[in-house]
Amino acid sequence: MEIFEQINLNQTAVTPDELEPLLEETVELVQKRRSQGRIIFDRFMRNRTAVFGLLFLILMVLFCYFGPTVTSHNKPDLLHPIPLNAVLEGGLRPTLQYPFGTDDVGHDWLARAMAGGQISLLVGLSSMLIAIILGIGIGSVAGFFGGIVDNLLMRFTDVFLSVPLYLLLFVLSATFTDGSPKSIIILIAALSWMYTARLVRGEFLALKEREYVLAARTIGARNFHLMFRHILPNAAGPIIVSATLLVGNNIILESVLSFFGFGIQPPTASWGNMINLGDNLFDVNPLLVFIPGMLIFLTVLSFNLVGDGLRDALDPYMTER
Amino acid sequence: MGRYIIRRLLQAIPLLILLTIFMFILIHLMPGGPEQVLFNPHMSAAARQEMRVRFGLTDPLPIQYLKWLGQTLTGNFGFSYADNLQVSYLLGQRFPATLQLFIPAFALALILALFLGVISAVRQGSITDYGLTTISYFGIAMPAFLLGLALQYVFGVWLHILPTSGTASFGTNFTPFGAFLDHIQHLILPVLTLAALSIAGWSRYMRSSTIEVIKQDYMRTARAKGVGPFTVLFRHALRNAVIPLITVVAIDFGAIAGGATITEGVFAWPGMGSLFFSSLAARDYPVLLAILTIGGTLVIMFNLIADILYGVMDPRIRYA
Repeated sequence: MEIFEQINLNQTAVTPDELEPLLEETVELVQKRRSQGRIIFDRFMRNRTAVFGLLFLILMVLFCYFGPTVTSHNKPDLLHPIPLNAVLEGGLRPTLQYPFGTDDVGHDWLARAMAGGQISLLVGLSSMLIAIILGIGIGSVAGFFGGIVDNLLMRFTDVFLSVPLYLLLFVLSATFTDGSPKSIIILIAALSWMYTARLVRGEFLALKEREYVLAARTIGARNFHLMFRHILPNAAGPIIVSATLLVGNNIILESVLSFFGFGIQPPTASWGNMINLGDNLFDVNPLLVFIPGMLIFLTVLSFNLVGDGLRDALDPYMTER
Repeated sequence: MGRYIIRRLLQAIPLLILLTIFMFILIHLMPGGPEQVLFNPHMSAAARQEMRVRFGLTDPLPIQYLKWLGQTLTGNFGFSYADNLQVSYLLGQRFPATLQLFIPAFALALILALFLGVISAVRQGSITDYGLTTISYFGIAMPAFLLGLALQYVFGVWLHILPTSGTASFGTNFTPFGAFLDHIQHLILPVLTLAALSIAGWSRYMRSSTIEVIKQDYMRTARAKGVGPFTVLFRHALRNAVIPLITVVAIDFGAIAGGATITEGVFAWPGMGSLFFSSLAARDYPVLLAILTIGGTLVIMFNLIADILYGVMDPRIRYA
């Protein structure tokens, strides 16, 4: 209120120089315009745990993908010579030369952790991408067209959702995969698209009643144009959140598969099959199990934190704090 | 209400049929069918053909499917390739052990999740809430087998107070009561592992559900009328907050079944999960498919129960 009084008291300010001090006080009225992306970014950055998660993920990617090139730990399959008493103890304990120690045949556990991280992250991210594409494809068609198409597609989705996931995962991996990351990626993607499909279908069902869809339809937009140019960008928020959480989920699935011997086969390293190798020596050298275990845990935790941070940042009903 | 139940039943039946078709197709896609397992490899072609007719392998696929379905519905899941026993006999042998694991874990998880979720919600924003929410985040990110391994290490190897696998200790001669106590000791770690994963997810859900209920006006009205805080919590808030949790719990059954399988694998618990793993290693497809079919049917049944329970507890749903 004082701002207006000031303007009236001091006559009308006509030059920009005289306007300046007044403009500083009207900062709430004249806000800098930010783009939608910038707003979401700012809100995400204010969430401390989400930022920690993101930082950890960046560090993990650097660790796995650049670690082998900058350090000398780039031979995960090489059997390093270790003294006999170390073999009986389940491998060397961490030293400067081998920061994560070795197992009882001489694998450098740090090199394996980095190589395993590359594979686990690759499997998690690729299977997420395929699952998202499948889920969006099926969910959008089901949600947009409704009726019989929706009914049939949802019945199909429900069949996959009805079988306990881990049981089907193990049976299919025993039968159809051959230990290569590619087959594991396809398998995990084939069993995790359902959640995205349901989500996308729900969003499309809600959004196709909006007025801009009606307006676009009135001027002659065709169905696919409507679906992917108008509705999908508005449904993107929950899909992005679900995708982030899906990566964590898929990393866990891959590690469970590899731990029980059905996923990535040695000598290709993956965090899951490192735990499998270390399980035999668990009582003498628990580090072999706990190091990859902690890596999996912290990576999945970070993905979950980032996903929750994104959910809070993208939520249109959350007022600015 | 009856109409609602019938409607849900009618929706579940086509799903069951689709599930059985899916399982049947899966049987046929898998390598190593009955021909390779049961037929003598030195048979002549004519004898082989006659065996095929006798086993019904020359019938068209839909007929085979109907025969298989009829058999499955009467409980005859076929013969195990590895053990040459009736599959239903094998399943019946292992079922009690899985039940011993499942029921305590389920009850523990439900009670603890309810308790922790309500505490978290009532003390929202406090250190207690913060701590419990952090623990539940950890629980969701932890893979099932890792928690089992960690518990095995801490309590079995490091502290040496609980056994790490199996159902009974070797080389001991207990009295019946002693054997019972020993059995309980073996049960503790697997039950904790199985319960922990569900607790994390359910307590978060319970917390958000209770927070929403507490914000309602009728809660404020009850307090304004002078009803004590605990009574208000138990008589009004809890009842309404539990409703969505019950449906989540019922729908999560498939996840718990998978978790039970993994826990049995880690702790060498002789239940249906271990049977699943040993059949997997032996590529014993009749057993595997029987377990999958039963699992799928139970999941559909539990989803149906969840829908019906939801209709019972929340009358608004019945007319949707």
